[in-house]
Amino acid sequence: MINCAIFLLTAAGFLALLLADPRYRRDWLRHELAPKWCTALRLAGFLLLALPLIIAVRRLNWGYGAVVWFGWLTISATLVVSAHTYRTHAWRPRR
Amino acid sequence: MRPGFRQSMAWLHTWSGLVLGWLLYAVFFTGTTAYFNQEITSWMTPENVVRADPSIAAINAQKWLVRHHPNAVTWDVVLPGARGGGTRVSWTENPSAWEADTSGAATGSIQLDGQGLDTPAPRSTSGGQFLYGFHYELHYVPYRMARWIVGLGAMFMLVAIVSGIITHKKIFADFFMLRLGKGQRSWLDAHNVTAVLALPFHLMITYTGLVTLMHMYMPWPELVRPKPPKTAPVAIETSITPAAPLTALAPVLKDASKKWGGTQSARIQYHHPGHTDARIIVFPAKTKDIAEHHGAQVFDGVTGSAITSPLSTSKAYIIESGMVGLHAGRYAAPTLRWLYFLSGLGGTVMIASGLLLWVVKRRQRLPDAEHPHLGFRIVERLNIGTIVGLPAGVATYFLANRLLPPDAVGRADLEIRFFFIPWAAFLIWSTCRPSRRAWIETLGVCALLFALVPIVSALTTTRGLFPSLLARDWVFVSFDLVMITTAAASAFGAWVIAARKPRIDRPRKARPALEPVH
Repeated sequence: MINCAIFLLTAAGFLALLLADPRYRRDWLRHELAPKWCTALRLAGFLLLALPLIIAVRRLNWGYGAVVWFGWLTISATLVVSAHTYRTHAWRPRR
Repeated sequence: MRPGFRQSMAWLHTWSGLVLGWLLYAVFFTGTTAYFNQEITSWMTPENVVRADPSIAAINAQKWLVRHHPNAVTWDVVLPGARGGGTRVSWTENPSAWEADTSGAATGSIQLDGQGLDTPAPRSTSGGQFLYGFHYELHYVPYRMARWIVGLGAMFMLVAIVSGIITHKKIFADFFMLRLGKGQRSWLDAHNVTAVLALPFHLMITYTGLVTLMHMYMPWPELVRPKPPKTAPVAIETSITPAAPLTALAPVLKDASKKWGGTQSARIQYHHPGHTDARIIVFPAKTKDIAEHHGAQVFDGVTGSAITSPLSTSKAYIIESGMVGLHAGRYAAPTLRWLYFLSGLGGTVMIASGLLLWVVKRRQRLPDAEHPHLGFRIVERLNIGTIVGLPAGVATYFLANRLLPPDAVGRADLEIRFFFIPWAAFLIWSTCRPSRRAWIETLGVCALLFALVPIVSALTTTRGLFPSLLARDWVFVSFDLVMITTAAASAFGAWVIAARKPRIDRPRKARPALEPVH
């Protein structure tokens, strides 16, 4: 249960960070965003990454919670990178 | 002109990573499997279905040790629990023999059943313990030398990680960057991504790995400091005190359990059993404390009375056992165990991609691609033979477990030979074939071997994938699924290489203008 929450939040966080970068955003959104939205996305991304750490440390304990958090960071970042790579390569013709 | 700082770091990263890269790959691969070593052992002893009972197992295991290894300096009993039904018993005989001895003779271990009984095992096996041991003992290498080699490798790894971080320079900007189908660029991306995404794990596992053996690598502080009192649970030297029988174990376990508030014990260590200075150290089960020895209780082995260890309260000791605990991950619940496993896999892929990158980068600069120089050929062949050969050896190790006759003489050692011989065969094979063919063929055979594991298991035992699914036996189900996934990954690798023929064979000439050369 708590693992699920940590995973979803960190995945959402990485997704927000991905969309905050114009180089990656082009592959996901049709329209360019206003700069203030980029800042908001980036901020939201970092908050979404930090929040599960707080949850993990509170619900588990310091050491265990932190290890679990680091583990899920790796997994969700891997999934976001995979999704992005899949999308860019499925959509663009091979050169 | 003096090369820039970053360039010298890039040089350091390249060579510190390459020199012991294959060793590191082997250590990471087998170390990663070690997070499931009890589960692997369960899979490799499919007849072992005795209902586990830790308190009975503890008493029977002690009886077994008294009977078979009365002169050992230490005993270690890992009781059955949530992770597998067996009792793992190990011992260390005369430690002064370590220097000269090969591993396995002075120390040893055996798997007893869930009640600590030495039931005539239908198949004797080293199980997951062999893969775990290999990751720092290298099996055939003498005790100390193996640990020094692996320690040197870990030190190189640490150097490679730090210099790699400095070389990378765009960790955050290129965090999500993975471009496929672009030759060298793609390998660099893959290496970066696997390195960066699991960076906390890589740093942690390498550093704490060094810490686990720091008493051996840096013995000097202990040589100059006064000897700790004998209650310390670290004394690994022959006892000089007279013989005395061990106390009854049951009251000790009851006493320990009372102090933990009802928690059962998971592991029992004995120091100098059978002597008047005997100590029994009992570790609690089901703890979220990372520190391995945290909460452990020390008892006098003869009188059975509790001893407060001065060590267990020392900050340095808690930090050390915390690091060791973090490395071994024995505290981890199933979900966290899988996270450890996946991060370890990331580390293995990172090392493999780094080794491949070395080749890919240099192949483009070869003056004559048909006849590369010797160094290039050695690296290229060692890459294939190790990156594919080692996993293939693990597959044949599992297959041997199912296919060797149950009553074969020295069966456990025979299984281990089925790990090394196929690996060696893959190394030889990869040197005999053109590199692209070698990749496709070895990956294809590796895929076949892994695919055979669940099939052979289903044919030779009653615990194949479908019966296990029906019995909700998740250890066996997961094991078979991991085998199938590995087979699929190998087959996919072979398919990708086979499908991209021209780009691999003539890398440079066709497209020099596309990639800017820095």
